[in-house]
Amino acid sequence: MNKRVLGMAAVCAVGALTLSACGSSGGGSGSSASGPVTLKLVAADYGDKASNSSTLYWNDLAKAFEAANPTIKVDVQVINWNDIDKQVKTMIQSGNMPDVLQTGGYADKVADNLLYPASDVLSTSTAGSFIDSFAKAGQVGGTQYGIPFVSSARAFFYNKTIFAQAGIAAPPQTWADVAADAALIKAKVPGVTPYALPLGPEEAQGESMIWELGNGGGPTDSSGQYALNSQADIDTFSWLKSNLVAPGLTYPNPATTDRKTAFADFAAGKAAMLNGHPSLIQMSTDGKVDYGVAPIPGKAGALKSTLGVADWMMAFKKNGHKDQIKAFLDFAYSEQNTLKFDETYNLMPVTQDTLQAMTSSGKHQDLQPFFALLPQAAFYPLGDTTWDTVSAQIKQSIGTAVSGDPAKVLGDLQKKAQDAVANK
Amino acid sequence: MSHTPVAPSRGAPARRRPALERLGPLPWIGPAVLLIVLVVLWPVYEMVHTSFLRISSSGFVRGSAGLDKYRKLFAETDLGHVLTATVVWTLVVVTLTMVLSLALAQLFNQEFPGRRLTRWALIAPWAASVLMTAIGFKWMLNQTAGVLNTALTDLGLIDGPKDWLGNPNTAWPWMMVVAVFVSLPFTTYTLLAGLQTVPGEVYEAARVDGASTWQTYRKITLPLLRPAFLVGVVINLINVFNSFPIIWGMTQGGPASATATTTVFMYQLKDTDIGESAAMSVVNFALVVVMVLVFLKVSRWNEDES
Repeated sequence: MNKRVLGMAAVCAVGALTLSACGSSGGGSGSSASGPVTLKLVAADYGDKASNSSTLYWNDLAKAFEAANPTIKVDVQVINWNDIDKQVKTMIQSGNMPDVLQTGGYADKVADNLLYPASDVLSTSTAGSFIDSFAKAGQVGGTQYGIPFVSSARAFFYNKTIFAQAGIAAPPQTWADVAADAALIKAKVPGVTPYALPLGPEEAQGESMIWELGNGGGPTDSSGQYALNSQADIDTFSWLKSNLVAPGLTYPNPATTDRKTAFADFAAGKAAMLNGHPSLIQMSTDGKVDYGVAPIPGKAGALKSTLGVADWMMAFKKNGHKDQIKAFLDFAYSEQNTLKFDETYNLMPVTQDTLQAMTSSGKHQDLQPFFALLPQAAFYPLGDTTWDTVSAQIKQSIGTAVSGDPAKVLGDLQKKAQDAVANK
Repeated sequence: MSHTPVAPSRGAPARRRPALERLGPLPWIGPAVLLIVLVVLWPVYEMVHTSFLRISSSGFVRGSAGLDKYRKLFAETDLGHVLTATVVWTLVVVTLTMVLSLALAQLFNQEFPGRRLTRWALIAPWAASVLMTAIGFKWMLNQTAGVLNTALTDLGLIDGPKDWLGNPNTAWPWMMVVAVFVSLPFTTYTLLAGLQTVPGEVYEAARVDGASTWQTYRKITLPLLRPAFLVGVVINLINVFNSFPIIWGMTQGGPASATATTTVFMYQLKDTDIGESAAMSVVNFALVVVMVLVFLKVSRWNEDES
């Protein structure tokens, strides 16, 4: 009998090794009443090499925090962007959840009821310090779960040298200007892509939402329901199709052209205009491109509200470390710490005090046009727990709307979005 | 749960001899059975099981979905053209591969100076990782920097650099070229091995009887090559049908799913619905099994006739 049990155990062990999921032991870092509590922090790596890895930032912060709070230990785990989603999924499925997670999205975790509401883990002063538009973007059904961490906004970039060669004095204000300027560039500066329109699967949801905003549309209607095939959106894609794609003023196949191609082309001086975010500043400087930044052109005039993007912090309920998490987040969101992080990676702040500090310090002239955009930023419907699915569908196929029939492509997407809502 | 049936055989070697003998060959085939259960049967079970579940995007099982995922899959507007594309892709690539390999095998079966070197060279596309080859071709076809684009333009074959992979009409032929390219070495070597088993006396007899070269090839070489040829076709059918790295490396199935086969489509569905993706896997699995069974049936029937 005993040997049989042993055999079973051996098989189970082999199974566990092979399949990495025997799934009996959950819990992990259970909190014992006595002794220090260990908080497990999982964060994304914003650095691109060992010397500027976010591990350094979080280790320093954890050390300073532990010095100030001797009863709390922080276990830092920094994961690169390519792997973090997969690894977090594995942690969640195996019950080995982090206490604090900093990554790209939060709503899917709310759907599975894993997170503390922000009000449980933030002191009133920290909770009040966020820029309003960002705090709102962290809400699901009126309760804030996602805590913004860093942000970014889109603006219109143009190559001043190419504009001068084509004899264009000022950046375009309206869609008609974009098309006219692009035609001039095509005629006078051959070999350059006049407007880089990346609707490939990497980030089609961003580029398409920017254009839709220019026509008063967007992925959702005013009540927050998906309206992917609203008349405004269909008109937007029809305009793109007949005014930029058909006359050859952008890439021949926008549906398969990714954002990184567009950015690389701009930074190499091979594209004249595009919608970019702050990381393009450094790329353009490295590529010795004389660039200008302007508000994004809309159908009738420049956009007042641009697309904002944020990365998020969230607190998991599983281990019950509410008070310790609160202490940690208050520490992490102090102006000094957030300022250090934002300046290290040239990212945009999410708190008013840090925004104030960065705007007035004069050290960030290149980001100046973006600071002004932040408070009016428009977001993806992040608080909708189906957005991840819908966004994946948009990425996959919205690009074909500028080669096929916009109404049909957007109609199919809307149908899939409604299915996703129905199956939530 | 799936471990239980094999547990006794694992525990068995520890028992005393009589018990061991009673078990017969089990202790010896046990490890192999265990391996098959773990790496073949268990994943198949999980795949089928998953296709009946509702799973949230962070990986939680939300309960049974019944046949919903299959209904959703068969309602996909893209599924029709993806299936057609898969059939065309498999047929074209396997046919071209077999025809070219027959010729290549014949060539490499001749004595000629440098044969050893060229035989080695043929291994190159096989030795290189398929994904690497696919990505290599993707960059060679790149519109702004691709060496193939530059070469074709300089040779005057095209007016200017083209975005070959962005348009399904040009992406398909290029991907087929790459698929044939990577399938040739294995197939050619299989056929070459087959050719070398044909005894010289048979050819001699044919010559004595006054058969023409073409007659010799059709009446002697091909029938005797049959076993090797069948192996080549079956393995290529499965490989090409399941071929993922070439398409994913070159177009990711895009735009949308215009250049996807069912395997790639399954991977695309993974982003939006794991359950539906698993349903696609099950359908894929069934298609491969059916395809191979049909093929074997047809080829055996031919054998009986002759």
